[in-house]
Amino acid sequence: MLRLLSSIYKELLVLIRDRAGLAILFIMPLVLILIMTVIQDATFRTVKEVNISMILVNNDKDSLGEAISEGLYASDFFQIVEEINGEKITEENAKELVARGDYKIGIIIPERATEAIRGNVNALINKSFKSFNIPGVKKRTKKSTIDITIYIDPATSNSFKNMVMSSLKEFTSQLEIEMFFKNFSEAMAQLMPDQKPIKFDSFETIRYKEVYASTTENEILPNSVQHNVPAWTMFAMFFIVLPLAGNIIKERDDGSAFRLKTMPGSFVTVMFSKIFVFLGVSFVQFILMLLVGVYIMPALGLPQLEIGPHKIALAVMALSSGLAATGYGVAIGTIATTHEQAATFGAVSIIIFAALGGIWVPVYVMPHTIRIISQFSPLHWGLNGFYDIFLRGGDLMVVLAEAGKLLTFFVIMLGVAIVYNNYNKTK
Amino acid sequence: MQENKHIIELKYLSKYYKGSNVPAIDNINLNIDKGEIYGLLGPNGAGKTTTISILCGLFGPTSGNVFIDGMEFQHSAEKIKSIIGVVPQEIALYPSLTAKENLTFFGHLYGLKGKHLKTRIDECLELFGLEKNANRRIKTFSGGMKRRINLIAGILHKPKIIYLDEPTVGIDVQSRKVILEHLKNINKEGTTIIYTSHYMEEAENFCSRVAIIDKGKILTEGKPKELITAKGEYTDLESIFLNITGRALRDE
Repeated sequence: MLRLLSSIYKELLVLIRDRAGLAILFIMPLVLILIMTVIQDATFRTVKEVNISMILVNNDKDSLGEAISEGLYASDFFQIVEEINGEKITEENAKELVARGDYKIGIIIPERATEAIRGNVNALINKSFKSFNIPGVKKRTKKSTIDITIYIDPATSNSFKNMVMSSLKEFTSQLEIEMFFKNFSEAMAQLMPDQKPIKFDSFETIRYKEVYASTTENEILPNSVQHNVPAWTMFAMFFIVLPLAGNIIKERDDGSAFRLKTMPGSFVTVMFSKIFVFLGVSFVQFILMLLVGVYIMPALGLPQLEIGPHKIALAVMALSSGLAATGYGVAIGTIATTHEQAATFGAVSIIIFAALGGIWVPVYVMPHTIRIISQFSPLHWGLNGFYDIFLRGGDLMVVLAEAGKLLTFFVIMLGVAIVYNNYNKTK
Repeated sequence: MQENKHIIELKYLSKYYKGSNVPAIDNINLNIDKGEIYGLLGPNGAGKTTTISILCGLFGPTSGNVFIDGMEFQHSAEKIKSIIGVVPQEIALYPSLTAKENLTFFGHLYGLKGKHLKTRIDECLELFGLEKNANRRIKTFSGGMKRRINLIAGILHKPKIIYLDEPTVGIDVQSRKVILEHLKNINKEGTTIIYTSHYMEEAENFCSRVAIIDKGKILTEGKPKELITAKGEYTDLESIFLNITGRALRDE
């Protein structure tokens, strides 16, 4: 016990006295989490609530043009630009401005678009009446196709493009329905002039109710902070692999490891002391990152991180993730022969684990094979566990499986380090 | 357990590193008595470090047996490790820790504690003229001071056997004199010293017995003075060494 305590004290002294290293260890993850959350928050808002400038060239000046224009102006998603320096934007100007990347999207509503819709609607009513041998409406009934041109900046994301398209389709189909009922009512009034005209009130027949599924009654609203803080915390915690592996290699390079191996029972003791200290560091990192989410992010205009009621589950996940990361660091530090090897392999492998784990792109959108491989990424287990707590309101029982996988990973990594160390003895 | 006649016994010891068909140690037989200062001398790549590594239990031999105070590593590694002290050629200390913090840490690993450890650290620091620098960090020490602390870390627990790998390399004459004098005193108290060096004059004066080894074999062995007398035509150990191992340059 004295050996273990003394080794822990020594590791703490070495750590505390490397002030630059200490700053990197604690400040860099906080910078990472802040920057990544702010960036990801912007992406979140692109789809949800950010006003994106869009050109509207309304050549119709009738119901369709007005409906689209009103719909776009009423939406929180877009900032509509129809004039520049007091001059109306033409289709040519719009194309040029979007091509230059000044605007993401330009919508051109052609002349007489509403007239064309009316013609189509009347043609449909006539056709329906004709099948019952009823005389149709005496109006323009020519069927024609309306082309609403949408200029898109090639750098625009697909999701944003799809959102604009679906909004436009919604506006036009609503208008078509309204026109159909209006003209149908007029046609009926012509046939039966003594009857009161039918009034068709438009109302929503189907409504969509969004409810976030949660295992508890405490509903946590998903937002960029709830998504990003656990994801980037997990990522940052795994970077403890680099200083830990570096610490082991340095000890080997300067001969201390040689001395330690010739001392009674010291190799395992020394390894456990390193794991203990670096686990402590990763736990402190975790707490600091949560505090950033709770106190600093709101000050920067981001949503506040909601930790939820399951603090024990959170501590278990943080410790399991920290152990998985330190185990991985011990394995890399034991096997790598140089700092360069450890730093390159460690960093790149964490990025791969993170990518597979769904830190950047959700696992469910990945190809089938990658989805299978991602099941073996410790960052995937960690992220799932944290999402269970931060987004689904999961408790200790819910995260036990993921915590178990992380602990198994830690034991395997430690086993790899011990086996490799023993193998070296037989060289 | 073997009868404790010699403190170190090497029997038909061979070592082949994996992937090599050239032996690093080739069927060595060697007995070292208690209280000896035994010098392992040889050019680079002769097999000195491999021999010391096996004697420390860092790795095992390919064949043969090693007995340390009658015990073998396979059965009594922890016991053996508690009676040996190793002073590696590198300054195997933590540069950001003070001399006292380094020694306290290594003392604890050897099972020393409390007042006994504190007294022993103070005693050693005084012995090697470092008592005023006890609370200075190692990275601020001169080369000679680092060597002395490196040595203290290996002898703090009063081991029965001390392995010294080039303990005086790259230091000033004063530090070398202090180190060798104190090692002689420690030896007088009954500690066996196994020592490797490239300094033949130092080995000639310091060692009670030497073995000149090359290509994994012991080429000659005996008391330095007797070896010089026996060879007749040579006046010092260096001439014998060069004659036996050749004058060609050696790489590792």
